[in-house]
Amino acid sequence: MREVAPGLVFLGWLGRTIWSAWAGAAGLCCLTAAWQAGHEFYGSFILPSPLEALEALAALIREPTFAEAAKETAKRSAAGFVLAVGFGTIAGAIAGYSFAAMRLMRPIITVVLGVPPIAWIVLALVWFGSTGGSAIMTVVVAGLPISFAGGLEGVVTRDRALDAMARSFGASAWMRFRTVTAPHLVSYLFPAWTTTAGTAWKVTVMAELLSNSGGIGGELATARALFDIPRVMALIVAVVACVLATEYLLIHPLRDWLGRWREAGLPWGVKR
Amino acid sequence: MKLRLQAIGHAFLGRQVFEKIDLSIDSGQVIALVGPSGCGKTTLLQIAAGLIEPSQGRLHRKYRRHAVVFQEPRLLPWMTARDNIAYGLRSVGVEKELRAKAVERRAAEVGLNARDLDKYPAELSGGMRQRVAVARGLAVDPDIVFFDEPFAAVDVGLKRVLQDLVIEAAARDHFSALFVTHDLAEAVRVAHRLVALSGNGEGFATDRSIDGTPGTRTDREVFDIVETWSRDPAFHELFDGAREHAS
Ligand SMILES: Nc1ncnc2c1ncn2[C@@H]1O[C@H](COP(=O)(O)OP(=O)(O)O)[C@@H](O)[C@H]1O
Ligand SMILES: [Mg+2]
Repeated sequence: MREVAPGLVFLGWLGRTIWSAWAGAAGLCCLTAAWQAGHEFYGSFILPSPLEALEALAALIREPTFAEAAKETAKRSAAGFVLAVGFGTIAGAIAGYSFAAMRLMRPIITVVLGVPPIAWIVLALVWFGSTGGSAIMTVVVAGLPISFAGGLEGVVTRDRALDAMARSFGASAWMRFRTVTAPHLVSYLFPAWTTTAGTAWKVTVMAELLSNSGGIGGELATARALFDIPRVMALIVAVVACVLATEYLLIHPLRDWLGRWREAGLPWGVKR
Repeated sequence: MKLRLQAIGHAFLGRQVFEKIDLSIDSGQVIALVGPSGCGKTTLLQIAAGLIEPSQGRLHRKYRRHAVVFQEPRLLPWMTARDNIAYGLRSVGVEKELRAKAVERRAAEVGLNARDLDKYPAELSGGMRQRVAVARGLAVDPDIVFFDEPFAAVDVGLKRVLQDLVIEAAARDHFSALFVTHDLAEAVRVAHRLVALSGNGEGFATDRSIDGTPGTRTDREVFDIVETWSRDPAFHELFDGAREHAS
């Protein structure tokens, strides 16, 4: 099937993406129906209808302050994501190569994992006050252990036979890392990245709300204070949309692109 | 002389596999290394190829480049056949255009279609993968090639084709080779000289040259040599081991 033109391959990918989006939309419709049912049971004050929330969302998007707030939250979660994934992966990879480093870092990570995120927010508030720093730090602490574990597992389970093959051709350590370890590592890191990307948004909003440092979390705090429930729902929908957009527009296409070789071996029918 | 092993010995975790191995490989000479399973053939080959440090002894290398063809193809699953063949060239820093030329030429030599070059290893048959592995080794223009039972896993018909391919390449490119195999007939077909590693760690049970030149021996001649040698006490271990495996 490799003989098909690249254009067709892209079309095939697009078709599959649209098809899975279609299936996803069906699931979302069920959720919306349940939401509507809840609204009809409890009334607008407790649970505004999806339509009310959508209207509030439409109004929200037109406000310039919301765009500002969303941008702020996006920047913070992106910064937290990059730091968490960067440091986590590098530390994990080092631990994977060095037994001593692993013995040293594993307990640290275990302890970090044991601390509830809310405790980190409290600490971050003390250290950074009402700035974006609290949100970023909380994201880093929440996301780092997952990338660490992914990096560690990826390096530990690298194919030593392939590594020996590369050494037999005199490949440098850097080339061996790039061509033998890294592609394998990526398959361990993607689940970590997906989780961290989602966590980044959610934790940022939570930290913003608690530290009163603007962003979507700040907006949420204000709406709650004003008992503007449709606006609260609209903000929640907006955050969910951001999480999904990050996952499906950024991470999945990247994963599909990097994983082309994996799909090549599957017979036609098996491909998703 | 391309490579000389001098008083080589190796132990894994204190357990001695073999000791006092001496072996010289001449320029253009193909040496078959046979021996019962577990006697240390792979270990000796990896020492010769510099993949493991011997516990004892010295290695004298008089060549620029070597290549290793392993028992399993050991292709990078995330690279196309083309990039896999080019891997050795890439690691020594050959530029892209030259790499592409070498890949095309070597692929044709081992009987790969241009179409197959853009496939990933998962899309190739076992035989094709081993062809890619051979092409990857030949692509670096090696002075010496180490083969570790490269065709043990392919079926009989294909085995012959691949053996002929190696015989042809060795004659054309004049590389030396150490060819590990547990198949005496294969050894007799491809090599100039045959050494048998004994199973009890006492070095070589025999070291003899094989009549004729690889590629010119008829099937009859190969068969007769194998027949004669299989009655030779020097090879008893080889066949006893095979019998043990079969039972
Ligand atoms: N990495 C290793 N660690 C410990 N023992 C090993 C290792 N590799 C091989 N051995 C042992 O060394 C002996 C020789 O192995 P090997 O060279 O693979 O034999 P052969 O290739 O002749 O079948 C075997 O007993 C095997 O169990
Ligand atoms: Mg072996």
